[in-house]
Amino acid sequence: MTDWTRRQIGGLAGGAMLAVAAPHFVRGQGRAKVVVIGGGIGGATVARYLGDMKSIDVTLVEPNSTHVTCFFSNLYLAGLRSLASLTFGLETLAEGHDITIIRDSAVAIDPAGKAVELRGGTKLSYDRLVVAPGIALKFGEIEGYDEDAAKIMPHAWVAGPQSELLRQQIKSMDDGGVFVIAAPPNPFRCPPAPYERASLVAYYFKQFKPKSKILILDAKDKFSGQELFQDAWSRHYPGMIEWLPSQFIGAIKAVDVAARSVVTEGETFRAAVANIIPAQKAGLIAEKAGLTDASGWCPVDPVTFESTLQPGVHVIGDSIVGGDMPKSAFSANSQAKACAFAVAASLTGSPQFPPHLFNACYTFLAPDDAFTNALTFAPEGGRLKTVKMFISKVGESPETRRRTALHAVGWYSAFTADVFGGGS
Amino acid sequence: MKRVRRAAIVSRVKGLAAEIRWLLGVSLCAILLSAANSAAADVSQGAQIAATCASCHHPTDGGQAIPPIATLDEQAIVKAMLAFRASESPSHVMHAVALSLSDDELAATARYLADRANAGRQP
Repeated sequence: MTDWTRRQIGGLAGGAMLAVAAPHFVRGQGRAKVVVIGGGIGGATVARYLGDMKSIDVTLVEPNSTHVTCFFSNLYLAGLRSLASLTFGLETLAEGHDITIIRDSAVAIDPAGKAVELRGGTKLSYDRLVVAPGIALKFGEIEGYDEDAAKIMPHAWVAGPQSELLRQQIKSMDDGGVFVIAAPPNPFRCPPAPYERASLVAYYFKQFKPKSKILILDAKDKFSGQELFQDAWSRHYPGMIEWLPSQFIGAIKAVDVAARSVVTEGETFRAAVANIIPAQKAGLIAEKAGLTDASGWCPVDPVTFESTLQPGVHVIGDSIVGGDMPKSAFSANSQAKACAFAVAASLTGSPQFPPHLFNACYTFLAPDDAFTNALTFAPEGGRLKTVKMFISKVGESPETRRRTALHAVGWYSAFTADVFGGGS
Repeated sequence: MKRVRRAAIVSRVKGLAAEIRWLLGVSLCAILLSAANSAAADVSQGAQIAATCASCHHPTDGGQAIPPIATLDEQAIVKAMLAFRASESPSHVMHAVALSLSDDELAATARYLADRANAGRQP
């Protein structure tokens, strides 16, 4: 055991910067104030790292008291993890990392006046604002698919009650049923996740409902990790998963909730259970605050993550125009750290270094068969570009894949401790 | 005391960076920075880069396949990172991380982590 905690890392980082950098807020009249909107992976990470610096007042605005991780929620759908094991209380952030948490939602941002208005009427002033709103689902782009329809045909793309609903439906489905996954167009949260979902639900079906089928109706013609997935499907679940790309079926046009069917340009597919993952955009507060461009996502400076549209406001995580960086929890965590140091630099005059930005994803094909990718990114010409990329290969030994699955479990424990400041 | 300590850190970090270059067969000439700037930059930079390690390495729990790094000394960290830099096996992730760090950045990070480990061992 050791005393080396992340609190100490942050504390030393802040201390070292302050010791050399003429920190005007510390020497001046008051501490700088940072407000963070959103307590998901990006928001919790940036709040935690800023809080640990001990030189900045950090307030995190989040309506929920807990966060359920989207990553690993496909294991829950397959009955391989409990939802409780994916749920983290935000109180560890408040208690251990000098963060004030306000259980409320931001309804308006005034960048000129440097203030945030909350649903409950509170107004918070800030020196720097970090917005980490995650994704919003584009309800209405598929005809008939709205929030009410999602109670019958769940998206399960924000983990929590939607995951529970889909798990329940999969469990109660008769053997021989067809599970339809409507996979979204790019860009969307966690590019390999629809296909990991198909893999793990197939694992469940293979044990308990072996006559069942999985049909992926895709808005795209190719997908992340395609070769690895298709190899695994033929090895583990032969004949069980069928992937139909957009070029074969056309766009997904509509759903019929009563009939549990999905209508594409050319065909109608009946489902026993339908998982509709719609197209996505930045979380609603980002749009409302003028942080989004025509793409629906938030353009940012790739070094500081400051909005290019609203000065003094930083945006991190799934909601940004990420360039080559995928919309993933790992990316959000990596961006949040770079953003925290950039915000500290702007408020305390501390030195700023080129950010080290990473993404590493662990993806399950079966409980003991997982693959990884690892990417590094650097700012170039105003956008985030891939520098190096490594990915598992088809044909790796079962032992390598087993070890990767073990690494995934270890990574989950460490990553969530890093984000939420506790153990998993 | 602080200046003395900082100077010692500069010396150790620069020594380590030099050692990495020697290990790689690269010239030593490129790392002569001013002592004051190097101290401020390297300590702070080490902390910032070390924050990225925490995305995968648990602060205390080493029982789940990804080893803890909190108790390693700087030589062990540097040697491991040079091995990861040289080969994609056994870890894509560490290969990518190791390739992304310059020698100076690696030295600063190893020094920072080792200092944290030493601080943790003190009663």
